[in-house]
Amino acid sequence: MMDAKTIVFGDTAIDRLLQWLRASGEPKDVRDLLLQYLEILCKLVTEEGE
Amino acid sequence: MTATTGTLADEVWRLMTAQGILFAIDAPIRQTLSNLVEFFAARLQRDPASVQAELEAALAADERFTREEVNGQVIYVTSRQGRYIPRDTTDPHTFKQRLYEPENPLPIDDLSVVVSTSRPAITTVEPVYISDYWIEQARLVAATQMDEQPVVQPESQEAGATTPVVVEQPVAEGAGPAPVGEEPGVAVVPPTDVEEPVATLGVSEEPSAAPIAEPTSSEHSTVLTVDGLTIDLSRSPAEIVAEYGPALERILAERLARDPLQRIVSFGRLHYPEASLVGFGKNDLRKIRDYILERNEPLLDTEIIADLYYHNPRQPDYEGFRFSLNYRLSREKDFEFVGVEGANIWSTKGLPAIGSKRVKASEMGQLTSYLIEGFDDSLADQSAEAIQASGSVTRLLTFFEWEYGVLPLDAALATLLPKPVFPDQRSAVLRFESSQHFGTYLVEVRYPSGNRGGWLQGLEDFFREYLVPGALITISRTDAVNVFTISYEEGGETTDRLLTFDEKKNRFAFANLTFYCAVDEDVLPTQNRYGKLRNLKAFPMSERRKAEMVLEHVCEVMGERGGSREQPVYRVTFNDLYVAYNVLRPASRSFLQALLDSHPAITADPAASGTYFFTLPQMERTDTEEEDVEEEDQPIQPTLRRRGGRYIDEDE
Repeated sequence: MMDAKTIVFGDTAIDRLLQWLRASGEPKDVRDLLLQYLEILCKLVTEEGE
Repeated sequence: MTATTGTLADEVWRLMTAQGILFAIDAPIRQTLSNLVEFFAARLQRDPASVQAELEAALAADERFTREEVNGQVIYVTSRQGRYIPRDTTDPHTFKQRLYEPENPLPIDDLSVVVSTSRPAITTVEPVYISDYWIEQARLVAATQMDEQPVVQPESQEAGATTPVVVEQPVAEGAGPAPVGEEPGVAVVPPTDVEEPVATLGVSEEPSAAPIAEPTSSEHSTVLTVDGLTIDLSRSPAEIVAEYGPALERILAERLARDPLQRIVSFGRLHYPEASLVGFGKNDLRKIRDYILERNEPLLDTEIIADLYYHNPRQPDYEGFRFSLNYRLSREKDFEFVGVEGANIWSTKGLPAIGSKRVKASEMGQLTSYLIEGFDDSLADQSAEAIQASGSVTRLLTFFEWEYGVLPLDAALATLLPKPVFPDQRSAVLRFESSQHFGTYLVEVRYPSGNRGGWLQGLEDFFREYLVPGALITISRTDAVNVFTISYEEGGETTDRLLTFDEKKNRFAFANLTFYCAVDEDVLPTQNRYGKLRNLKAFPMSERRKAEMVLEHVCEVMGERGGSREQPVYRVTFNDLYVAYNVLRPASRSFLQALLDSHPAITADPAASGTYFFTLPQMERTDTEEEDVEEEDQPIQPTLRRRGGRYIDEDE
């Protein structure tokens, strides 16, 4: 589990967001992007072994 | 060394340098002893053992040779310059090290200090790589900023508490999960340890803060602070977005745009991986530009893709291709985005201007600045909610709007029309369709910027052909975001002498006009009712921005003259003023009212509501001017300028 204090919004786990965006194959609205990014961050701070 | 050995060594050296004749001057030339013995024994017809002994003695005595032994084999090394000296490969240049690992690096607040964010002159998009050192530095800065916040909280919470109590807290927490049953006695020891430095240091707070902060930082936190927003990541993303959506969208978009590697690029609200972009070369751009010029109007991105690239929206990569095109064009200075949300329209250099060239954009921006200054009463008749619900705006056409084909972008129209997609977007091109005449007009919406107002231009032909000042027009939205309809209430055939502007003579005049639209008689500039309008002076546009000067002139022209010869007083009604003022420049009723209220020489008539007295400032007049005053049939001269003479034709 990652401590939220160590997260830099817009920097931490951006590579994962990029991966998701690339896999989707089409441009995404900033709202979708934000939702996905928050999901990634939530997983980082809640799931074990991240 | 004997003469023989010296000769032998010379011969060996000549032999070896001949072998390495093409070597570098300092490159090693190697030869085995066995080869040399074999060569010289055959040549001198002597016993190899004695030759070997002689060779070894000769070469050992000669400093040009170095003896090496590799795997039991004796090798002699020399070079073309004599003794072989291994090359010194140490690099005396330290610039690289000093650049990447400076002894005293400057503080980095922002990576843009290191990497320029300005648009490169070369149109090809190339990632900007920076060293790991700078990235690490930026992370450290961010981390220290983050650390500062949690440290403050425990201090403020624990400030009121006594030191032993504060120390007990982390001990209890720290001892909780793992060493709880280990040694209960240990929990007692740390407070005494901590108390000592606190007692000895006395004033210093930092040492006591450090041990306090440490246990709390080990506590797992799910609260993230972003630009002052506190976000609990244990909540669902949908909940977080519902609460902070717009702010977080903005922050995320900004951070992604600041990424020095530009891994995710954006166009409007859309984002796409930079690595997935489709490349458009110079030939593509030239082809697109030529096509827009050929069509002679700004084009939708979908039209460009369909007509030039034959891409089908059903193709899986269509949206990516479309994004790539828009992103690329947005970075080209030869192209300008004139679209709206949902319709990406591109214009290019060389296209004909939309609308009248008689009013410059800078002048029009100043003439409509009253909208920015808060004198926008367009929502008085139609509320924004009503406009949103009905999808249409109805308004009366003034003379200025009719003459130049422009409409001020007031709040009512702004509610109806789409907003700019980009903060720095200058204009948008919309299509206005007239179902009554099956015509289509390109209309350019110029958005307000700074203290300059916005307006619509490009309706000159429609207004002049089918309408007259005072006509009631309705603008409605359609299903397409960039297409609107314009209509008017039709009426019976009417012919009247209406105000027109004679451009050749640069003066206003009345002419017979036949029209087929319903009009508001109060604002229709007929000769019968508003005959004095012909006396208005057609000021240059740059002068018409002087609102007070225009007001004084309009009062003088439209008012009923009274008072004395030295100090005439003009009585004028608000409605006449409004009609006449809107002949020279656009103005709302509230703007006109504010001008009247603030003007020192204008007073309201207490006897009649909506009537005003304008007292002309007493000034020295020449004899010729006095004569002019007596000739009432002559056109009224413009108002005296405050800091100068009259406006005369030569002014223009």
